[in-house]
Amino acid sequence: MLCERCKKNEATVFYKETINGKTKSYSLCAECAAEAEKAGDIETPHMDAFFSSPSIGGIDSLFGSLFSVPHYAKRALSEGNAETKKCSLCGSAFGDLVKRGKVGCPKCYEVFADELDATIREIHGTTTHTGSAPKRFKHDRELKQKIKNLEAELKEAIKDENYERAAEIRDEVKALKEKEEN
Amino acid sequence: MMWYESAGRDNDVAVSSRVRLARNLTDYPFGSLLNDASAKEIIERVKNVFEGVGDYTFTDYSDLEEIERKAAVEKHKVSAEFASSKKPRALIESERKQVYIMTPEEDHIRIQSILAGFSLEEALSRAREADETIDGALNVAYNDKLGYLTHCPTNLGTGMRASVMLFLPALTISGGIRALSAQLGKIGLTIRGMSGEGSSADGCLYQVSNQITLGISEEEIVSKLSKITESIIEKERNLRQKIKSADNGRFEDRVMRSYGVMMYATMIDTNEMMRLYADVRLGAALGIIDGASLSELDKMMVRGMAANLTCENKEIKTPEERDRARAELIRRILSGAE
Ligand SMILES: [Zn+2]
Ligand SMILES: [Zn+2]
Repeated sequence: MLCERCKKNEATVFYKETINGKTKSYSLCAECAAEAEKAGDIETPHMDAFFSSPSIGGIDSLFGSLFSVPHYAKRALSEGNAETKKCSLCGSAFGDLVKRGKVGCPKCYEVFADELDATIREIHGTTTHTGSAPKRFKHDRELKQKIKNLEAELKEAIKDENYERAAEIRDEVKALKEKEEN
Repeated sequence: MMWYESAGRDNDVAVSSRVRLARNLTDYPFGSLLNDASAKEIIERVKNVFEGVGDYTFTDYSDLEEIERKAAVEKHKVSAEFASSKKPRALIESERKQVYIMTPEEDHIRIQSILAGFSLEEALSRAREADETIDGALNVAYNDKLGYLTHCPTNLGTGMRASVMLFLPALTISGGIRALSAQLGKIGLTIRGMSGEGSSADGCLYQVSNQITLGISEEEIVSKLSKITESIIEKERNLRQKIKSADNGRFEDRVMRSYGVMMYATMIDTNEMMRLYADVRLGAALGIIDGASLSELDKMMVRGMAANLTCENKEIKTPEERDRARAELIRRILSGAE
């Protein structure tokens, strides 16, 4: 059967729908069906379009912007600075990271922290990890979290003009921060 | 046991659930900069960690035949990149836990847990168990601000990718995938076709996963992906009912025809298998076919892929022989002999 719209291609999409007693039916080729769908003429699917899975766009577009070099890094690159500062573990310069589209080694994240900051923010919308941590960091994290919570509490206390409690919290925070230093 | 050998929750739509954690050791360059000697050192260190732990076994992938490596990719046990790499590399796996650890891949260690059906929380807890084993024994690269450090900055933070493989024939036919893709993009999730490369007969299988890994906890990733998955499942189910009731028996006829081909054809190529799989799986999910279970069909789909088929039938030489062996395997599975 030929497509009823273009009358050229073989019809592969068949659709019948009854609304308020009126039956509409279509026999279309894949292209015309896609057009009709876009125009809103047909909406519900049919099994015969089963094989044509739509290509999904936009997924990898994120990776296209990966390592878009921030302006200050560009300047550094043009001044040759990026070629002289090298990671002591893997030997990469920032230019190598950009060329590769990937970071060289764990140490690179320290060495090129400033240069990478904008890229990481662009990908994730933030640069602060909030998930789990290896055991050797867990204690640190818990301490940090405690301090953060206390500081929030301190703000509240000051707002409520509860200065006695505020002084208490301040002492606690001070003690915890000393602990953190060690 | 692998994901395609058992029936999981909501498997009319959710075929499998997977959680992957990327980990690196502090003192080595990342995957692509790693020399062979360092790669071997890393393999040795990770191997030692899992020696005597549970039922973990070790396989050196450098010596493995190409067809075996490809078969592992078809089973989703290892990544295509890992299978085709020229570097020393190994897989450490627990069949019981359904956990597969590649070392080294792009990152030094990639822990994967893949389970049947909709089971993200369980997959996370199993991947984590392996992660804790590693954490207790090796210095994993981590910094307090950026979290787990990875070769590609897209994996920073948790180093975690959670995904569900969904069977979405009704959403595919209705052209709803594109809209879904746009919606997911706005909330840091992505959807992609399983076969990629624009192949049309892909069995209507898609993978939905998190895009963002930093600034979100592991539990938050799982709960967000789970909520969205639940709503996709509901939408897909509703559309299926609509298709079933909307077209005067044409749909049922199509399903039964495909089932007939599956039962009686003597030669079936991969593309045809995937088309039949999609038709019959949808028929089985809607109760039109009761001779084939969803998990039987998943098993058929994986074991019928080229590399797996060749691994099981070493005497296969020509494409014709493979198509015949595939048709035979499908018949055996449908008759309950496999
Ligand atoms: Zn047409
Ligand atoms: Zn480095």
